Order: sequence, then C-alpha cells, then structure tokens
Amino acid sequence: MTDQKGPPPQDRRERRVRSSKIGRQLKRLYDDVINEDVPDDFLKLLEEADKKRSSSEKT
Amino acid sequence: MAEQQDHVNGEAFKRELTGLVPQLRAFARNMCGNPAMADDLAQEAMLKAWKSRESYKPGTNLRAWVFTILRNHFYSEQRRAWRSQPLDQEVAESTIMATDDPSAPLEVLALRNALQKLPDEQREAVILVGAGGLAYDEAAAICGCAVGTIKSRVSRGRRSLEEMLNDGSTGFSDDDTVRAGDAFGDIMAEAAALQRTP
Repeated sequence: MTDQKGPPPQDRRERRVRSSKIGRQLKRLYDDVINEDVPDDFLKLLEEADKKRSSSEKT
Repeated sequence: MAEQQDHVNGEAFKRELTGLVPQLRAFARNMCGNPAMADDLAQEAMLKAWKSRESYKPGTNLRAWVFTILRNHFYSEQRRAWRSQPLDQEVAESTIMATDDPSAPLEVLALRNALQKLPDEQREAVILVGAGGLAYDEAAAICGCAVGTIKSRVSRGRRSLEEMLNDGSTGFSDDDTVRAGDAFGDIMAEAAALQRTP
C-alpha cells in the first residue's frame, strides 16, 4: 500500500471518468434485471393471494 | 380537486403492482446479490403490498410505497436469528456463480462484487439513485432519511466502489479489455501453477 498525500492531476481526471463509467455500469446492472423475462411465479402470485383471501374473510 | 377513492381498486392496483415487478426484482437483486434470494424477497414484498393495499393512498407514488415495503422486508430478513450462513458468504458464492454470460466484462463482475461489499445503507442509495435512476427525494422517502443523507451515502458509496475497483480488492482487475472467458483461462492456469508449488 502506498502512502499518498493526494492524487496527482491525472488520477483525478481518471476518477471522474471512472465515476461516470461506474454510473453506466451500475445502470447496466439494474437494467439487465429489468429486461429479464418475469418468472411465472410473479405473475401467478397475486392471483393466488386473491383466491386465498376470498376464502378467509378478514375481521 | 378530484375526489380521492375511499378504498383501493383491487384490479387497478394489481395491474400497477405487476407493472412494478421488473423494478422490484432489479432493486432486490442488487441489494442481495443472490438472484434466488432476491426473487423471494421481491415476491414477499409483493404479497405484503397486496395485503396492505388499503393503506396505500391512490394517486401517490406506488413505486416508492412498494420499494419501502421491499426494503423493510430486506432488513427484517437480515435480522432473523436463524440465518445459518453469514450473508456475505452466501452472497459471494452465488454472485460469482450467477453469471451465465461468459462475454460479460470482468469489470461488471467486479462491480457486482464490490456492490455487495458496501455497507447496506450506501448500497441501497447507490442502487436506487445511481443504478435505478430514482430522484434523491424518492430514494430518501424509501430509505426513511433526509435528502442530504442520501446524497452523502451515494457519493461515499460510489467513491468506495471506485477504490475497490482500482485496488483490485474485488478479486478482478479493472481492465475492460479482459473478458470473463479469457480471464477464466488465466485463473485456471494460475490455479494449476499454484497447485504445482509445494
């Protein structure tokens, strides 16, 4: 591990580049999931829940 | 001003909630790392949202309302005493295995790993704002904190991610010319070499 007083100018520029690169990559992580097909479980979930609810009334 | 409904229209609510599923899954997946765990979490959040739909005010931000439910559930699951394995270990194992795409840049894998190493409150802020593109105040509402707090968590989180990716502490290099498939060859060669040394 090196001891640095502060990043040299080039490192600061790189950090800025990386931070937008990281931003794009983060967005990709998120969007990749959004673009996945929704598993059937999810689609059936609320139908099942609705059936159960109507068979047992809430007080 | 339009009259507000006294109660939630079930069918409309169901449609809106179903429309949020991709985003719920995305939030859960990036919070947990583990796809199966994330989907369980998202489904449980959907059920909770459905069961407590009477407490949702029609016309208000449904996404924020449901994301809050998901977030609360995430944290209450974490607190459960019966977790036999430490969260980090499970997450690390399944995160690495979760990649089906051999052409995925190593840097994406590195980022995924790094994300799981962030403290929860930074990770959720970075995911909501940085990855999900939510506004600061929506993220603050979901996380139950001030906008300034979210801003500082996002900025600290991103800085930590950069540092982790720079110093290779996620176990992957930041070199974007390397592809996962190529890297596996290198890793296997290294492993073989290590096994040969006593």
